[in-house]
Amino acid sequence: MKLPALALFERALRLETRSVLICWARVGLLGVILFVLVPIQSMAQVGWYGAPGLRFLQEMVWVNLVFITLAGLSYFASAITEEKEEMTLGLLRMTDLNPVAILLGKSTSRLVGAFLLLLVQVPFVLLAVTLGGVGLPQILAAYGTLLAYMFLLCNLALLASVVFRNTSAAAAASLFLLLLFFIGHYWAAGIERSLTADYHIDPTRGGLWLLTWATDLWRQATPSERLGEIFRTGFAGPVIGFQIWSNLALGIFFFLLAWLVFDRCTHEEKDSAPARRWRLSLPGWRSRIPAHVTGAQAITWKDFTFISGGKLGLLLKFIVVGLLVGLCNAIAFENSSTITREFEGTVLIWVSLVATAVWLALEAARIFKDEIRWKTLSSLVTLPISVRELAYRKVAGALVGTLPILTFFVVGLLLIPDQVGKFFEELFREPFAFGMLIVAVLQYLLFLHLTAFLSLVIKRGALPLAIAIQYLGGSFSLGLVSVFLVAGGPGTFSFIVAIVCLVLITILHCAIGARLARAAAEE
Amino acid sequence: MSEPIIEISELQHAYKRQQALRNISFAVAPGSIHGFVGPNGAGKTTTLKILATLLKPQRGLVRVFGLDVVADYKNVRRKLGFMPDHFSLYRQMTVQEYLDFFAAAYGMDLAARNRVVGDVLSLTDMEARRNDLIKGLSCGMQQRISLARVLVHDPTLLLLDEPASGLDPRARIELMEIIQELRRMGKTIFISSHILSELALLCDSVTILDRGTVRYSGSISGLNQSNGETAEYLLALVEDHPNAEAALRKVNGVTEVSKVAKAPHYRVSFQRKQTDPNTLLRATLDCGAQIHGFQEVLRHLNQAFMDLTEPGVPPMISVADHERQLPPMPPPGGLA
Repeated sequence: MKLPALALFERALRLETRSVLICWARVGLLGVILFVLVPIQSMAQVGWYGAPGLRFLQEMVWVNLVFITLAGLSYFASAITEEKEEMTLGLLRMTDLNPVAILLGKSTSRLVGAFLLLLVQVPFVLLAVTLGGVGLPQILAAYGTLLAYMFLLCNLALLASVVFRNTSAAAAASLFLLLLFFIGHYWAAGIERSLTADYHIDPTRGGLWLLTWATDLWRQATPSERLGEIFRTGFAGPVIGFQIWSNLALGIFFFLLAWLVFDRCTHEEKDSAPARRWRLSLPGWRSRIPAHVTGAQAITWKDFTFISGGKLGLLLKFIVVGLLVGLCNAIAFENSSTITREFEGTVLIWVSLVATAVWLALEAARIFKDEIRWKTLSSLVTLPISVRELAYRKVAGALVGTLPILTFFVVGLLLIPDQVGKFFEELFREPFAFGMLIVAVLQYLLFLHLTAFLSLVIKRGALPLAIAIQYLGGSFSLGLVSVFLVAGGPGTFSFIVAIVCLVLITILHCAIGARLARAAAEE
Repeated sequence: MSEPIIEISELQHAYKRQQALRNISFAVAPGSIHGFVGPNGAGKTTTLKILATLLKPQRGLVRVFGLDVVADYKNVRRKLGFMPDHFSLYRQMTVQEYLDFFAAAYGMDLAARNRVVGDVLSLTDMEARRNDLIKGLSCGMQQRISLARVLVHDPTLLLLDEPASGLDPRARIELMEIIQELRRMGKTIFISSHILSELALLCDSVTILDRGTVRYSGSISGLNQSNGETAEYLLALVEDHPNAEAALRKVNGVTEVSKVAKAPHYRVSFQRKQTDPNTLLRATLDCGAQIHGFQEVLRHLNQAFMDLTEPGVPPMISVADHERQLPPMPPPGGLA
């Protein structure tokens, strides 16, 4: 290849070919296939599944879809922003490389690598045909769907990467647009139904007909809809369907858009230093450490103020969770026209639990990573405290940030004390249920540890990788349920899983400490 | 002599198969400015990180204030301030917030924090930028804030790794003035730098490190005096004398006499143990020559650095090489 436009692209492919890490990633994928295959096979043996081949294919494809979405967001969205963050985009632009060459080199090369990671699975997934319940066209159609979706995601994230200044913002914008892509057609369909039912507008006329048509196309373009169709027994549709064409067309559109706005969005190199979260940089706003905060507590204060957003962040989280609760109430009111105290309590408890889980996962991914990225860890580690204490103080800062969310949880408990009491009463009566609750809590703690550890050892994508590992580990242990249900009973299962989780948490706990000390010395 | 504030003995450290430090030993006297120089990859930053308790020494003894850097790391950290070779700054904070945070982290109460932050800002001449975001400051100002952070807990020992790198000449001069001021305040300063001319003016003593080995450790004046055993003097005559060179060569211990072109001047090298400058002067006068001037030729730190470090050698050598016979290590205070 001698074309200047392909110079970066060619270089990236050469680097990838030589990369040992990529080879190991492909080997790891084969391990994932085994991980999915073993529990399905064991569950099929105890009679849980009738079509293990289809189940195997479904598992593989859904894992891929989730992983492509989560990992792709940070992987593809950093294509241009990483150059902006390193302040090297200007140097690239000074060379003979035109915007297309830069876009191809920085993004399309990543896409080719990711395509290969998907394609390497296909020969192994063909095992599904042998296992039974699925045909070759279904496998090809499913992987075609994934490839087209990846193309769309890559170019959407590329556009965000060109427009936004840092990877976090680009990934967040891509996530928002993806969510809109996946669930937007449900809203559109809801509006359409409402117009027909409540306002008696003829659905075959004018604008409403157009809305119906567009919503239907939108629905068909989503990979989730297409995969649902493929996984139906007796699937006889084309291998290359509308979803593939539409995703490819949208991908090309986003690439062209990225090309179009490239010069406008990248002509000025800006400092990529972390911003003060949530308008803490308002003129005149000062963050003074309270008089009583001294020693290692100051680290908690710093993380609470500058990572979790401080008092203003607390207020914003309170508002966001409040809005989510309000949304749940609005939906319930739309359906039943009444809101019971029981419903309100349950909503408060569940919304706050999910919000806390999401918030802590996000914090785990950045709590140490930011210190390493901005090379500030060495100044913290030379404080007269141990690395362990430093880490705990930082965690405490993140936990303080969850207080507004937990307020909703407490209010929920207070609204339905009888139900909560009854829940715990039944929980203690059923050892299996109690054991599973313990396992769930330990698995979540394990997930947080895994996320924090991965954030210290890989450049990006710690959270999606942790989700993928946890999901696979979870499905693997679910496969073991079948073995233990037959052999030793459910109590044995939860006990063993709990012990395994505890051991893994301890190992990761120590590994995080060691890695932090090493990272500080390497700065 | 007072106890050394830094004491390193037989220190070794390796990164996987690369030996970074090979039995290095030296000491630093309290209240001094000690320069730490060497080519890239010589092991300076590794040594500094061990002193700052960021790295654990693999073999050897490292004491700061008489305390072991591994066993007593918390006490050591209270007494020293480490400024790494990069800006370790929370750039989303204001100058005040940043310094206030570190002062609080060192356990100071509000009144002490207010006083100390004011003091260090005054010392580094950054009072006017107190409420500015750090990310908006120039490189030199960020370096001053780094230095101010190191000073908030009033450490006795400052470890500065390449403090002047990337600074413009004015910022460098201002930084050196601050360092001199700190010395006047009684601090001991251990400074690693590549800017030898500035170190030569600033430092009382120096350690030259090359490929993980100490090539020299001692006073700057000791380094300037050629080397420990031989000396070189410049003898200036009023006018050329035909017997002067022969007379000098006859003196026992003189190893080399060379005439400086187009001037009645001679460079005389001799063994310190066998003769001395007075004997040379006497021999010159005895042969009938008239002396205009006589002075020792002092080496500049640059020259000493070039003489003591080897060019074109990979920065670190393998563990296997480490086992080979090494040139004799100079004792602290002089050359081998």
